[in-house]
Amino acid sequence: MKSMIIIGNSGNRRTTGLQAARARLGLPPALVLDYLDVLQGKASLRSVAQSMGQTVNEPPLLRLDAPGEHFEVERELIALGAPDAATQHLDERWLRFNKNPVQPISTKMAKTMEEVKGKLYHPSQWFRGYCILLSQLDREAAHLWDMPSWMNAPEDIAAMFDKRHTHDILSSAGLPVARRLAAPEAIPDYDTLRDIMVNKRTYRLFIKLAAGSGACGVIAYQVNPVTGAESAVTTIGVENYVRRPPIFYNVKKLVNYKDHQVIRQIINWLLRHGAHIEQWIPKASYRDRTFDIRQLVVAGQACHSIARISRTPITNLHLDSDRMSLEEVGISEHLQTTVRQCAEQTLSVFPRSTVAGIDVCLSSSSYRPYVLDVNPFGDLLYHSYYEGHDPYEWEMKMTSLSTTI
Amino acid sequence: MSECKLSVDYDQYENGVKIIDLIEELAGKDESLQLESLIIGDWGGAYENDSSEIVEALVRLKDRFPQLRSLFIGDMSYEECEVSWINQSNIGPILAAYPDLRSLTIKGSTDLSLVPAQHDKLEELTIICGGLGKDVLTSINEGSFKNLKKLELYLGVEDYGFDGSLEDVLSLIEPGKFPLLTYLGLKDSEIQDEIAIAVANAPIVDQLHTLDLSMGTLTDKGAEALINSEKVKKLKLLDLNYHYMSDEMMNRWKQSGLNVDISDQQESDDDEDYRYPSLTE
Repeated sequence: MKSMIIIGNSGNRRTTGLQAARARLGLPPALVLDYLDVLQGKASLRSVAQSMGQTVNEPPLLRLDAPGEHFEVERELIALGAPDAATQHLDERWLRFNKNPVQPISTKMAKTMEEVKGKLYHPSQWFRGYCILLSQLDREAAHLWDMPSWMNAPEDIAAMFDKRHTHDILSSAGLPVARRLAAPEAIPDYDTLRDIMVNKRTYRLFIKLAAGSGACGVIAYQVNPVTGAESAVTTIGVENYVRRPPIFYNVKKLVNYKDHQVIRQIINWLLRHGAHIEQWIPKASYRDRTFDIRQLVVAGQACHSIARISRTPITNLHLDSDRMSLEEVGISEHLQTTVRQCAEQTLSVFPRSTVAGIDVCLSSSSYRPYVLDVNPFGDLLYHSYYEGHDPYEWEMKMTSLSTTI
Repeated sequence: MSECKLSVDYDQYENGVKIIDLIEELAGKDESLQLESLIIGDWGGAYENDSSEIVEALVRLKDRFPQLRSLFIGDMSYEECEVSWINQSNIGPILAAYPDLRSLTIKGSTDLSLVPAQHDKLEELTIICGGLGKDVLTSINEGSFKNLKKLELYLGVEDYGFDGSLEDVLSLIEPGKFPLLTYLGLKDSEIQDEIAIAVANAPIVDQLHTLDLSMGTLTDKGAEALINSEKVKKLKLLDLNYHYMSDEMMNRWKQSGLNVDISDQQESDDDEDYRYPSLTE
């Protein structure tokens, strides 16, 4: 039986949920290494490993969990991502698209930021910081153990987190994804986006913040080529001020913007921070609403799944959507198998990862599956059971109790 | 009933498949001769391509669909095209080409017309849209549907094409116009209160079993007229689903003993600028 280290935010619903699952399975609690402690230099993988008395031959199971929903962690990550941060041995590979953040916030400024609820502080610099942290943890683990036993390898997490990169990898692997409008670097701003839309006669798009998670930073955008009318459905809000720069924030509900100036401003902001833009695939309907599917895959095998039904194009917002089983929305056994296979193939593209929540939609009328998103932390699913186990129990059963992994 | 839905999906549209090809393919099969219900879904880029080619093809191929009784043109979700962005065309020629049609449903009202609006056997006419043009209302009003039993019109909002007045709507329900009508839906309207007040005691209510004033901006104002109407009391169903009525008014309906659908109460705001019908864009 393996011991386990969770790198996460202790006390949040993820960490608590996982510990509870371990307890139910009779496993000892995992040691929690707080992101904040790592970022502030108060603890490290080494210090936790030492406290466990581990030897090189017995690497503990290492789980990276979501760093989100914690302001101080966010602030530290933005500081770590600052161009002036003293980052040793920075491996540029980890930064791919994020070598030079726009309008960077200095380390000093970042450290003094105060919390404004819902505010989107600096997504690209945050992601840069997170990738730097992942690379540091990866290196540290490699020093501590011959074969670190990551549930999801840090480099995979960085790849899954970046929607531009994920799309690249999945399309190269031949998985069904929506067609990308153009390479991210070819769409620097809104005006260029509009030109490309006209050239490609593509008027309905999903614009996704490269390193956003959930509904945050997603815009379902469309332009009516006949009337020129625009519609942008998103949770992003903006507040403009006379004497200081605008603030972009997450309004926690969907807004359908029609105003050209507002849309332009929000899209420009998103593009500056890096975005992936793909065609909007009309999703299959359930009665008068449409749905997509979150399919969890653990250790190569599809397990928990839920259909997310919504009246809006963005289904991952709890506020406006319902959760149902695939049977309840009338998906045939055959089609469920197709979805499961699609999700399993998707995770197999990340061979050093054990867990991911794959978002799959079925296209309207033909019910063809397309991969919409790969979520390295997509296992926080309530009231969802597979063979009698909730996702955390199932993961622990498949990893901690198994001898093969 | 044998039914078939044709639509061009994401991949087909990218690969240049045309709805006309699908219609012609269907018409080429023997099953078309038995087909009773045809649903035309997303025809691909409905935000820029109108339905005229579909109308033309269905008229041209009418002999291949001798049993067709029910036709829906534009059955698409908001994921495929916003209802207010669906480009229609003149559907009138369909009525002439299919004299045995019983039910016609149209979704989308941009550039929609219905000329000539005449059919001796049509029993159901439904137009689903975010804003119905005055010209369509006028066509129906000046046309002839002797056998119509169900008329369901989404009236919508000015921003999406409703450019008529209360009078234009009311002219549809003058006595004798649709002698067999039993289901009247004047719904999804931004002037739902005015419609409710005007319809509450209109003679046509006597012949109806269902009055459908759902999906609009109905408040207590319109509801008051309905609840006090002797004619409304005789209805089998009053559909007020999606509304802005108060809890108090809802209680009065519950105690009225009438079969009334008052589900989906919207959050009420005293400022009427914030009240919208259910389906607009």
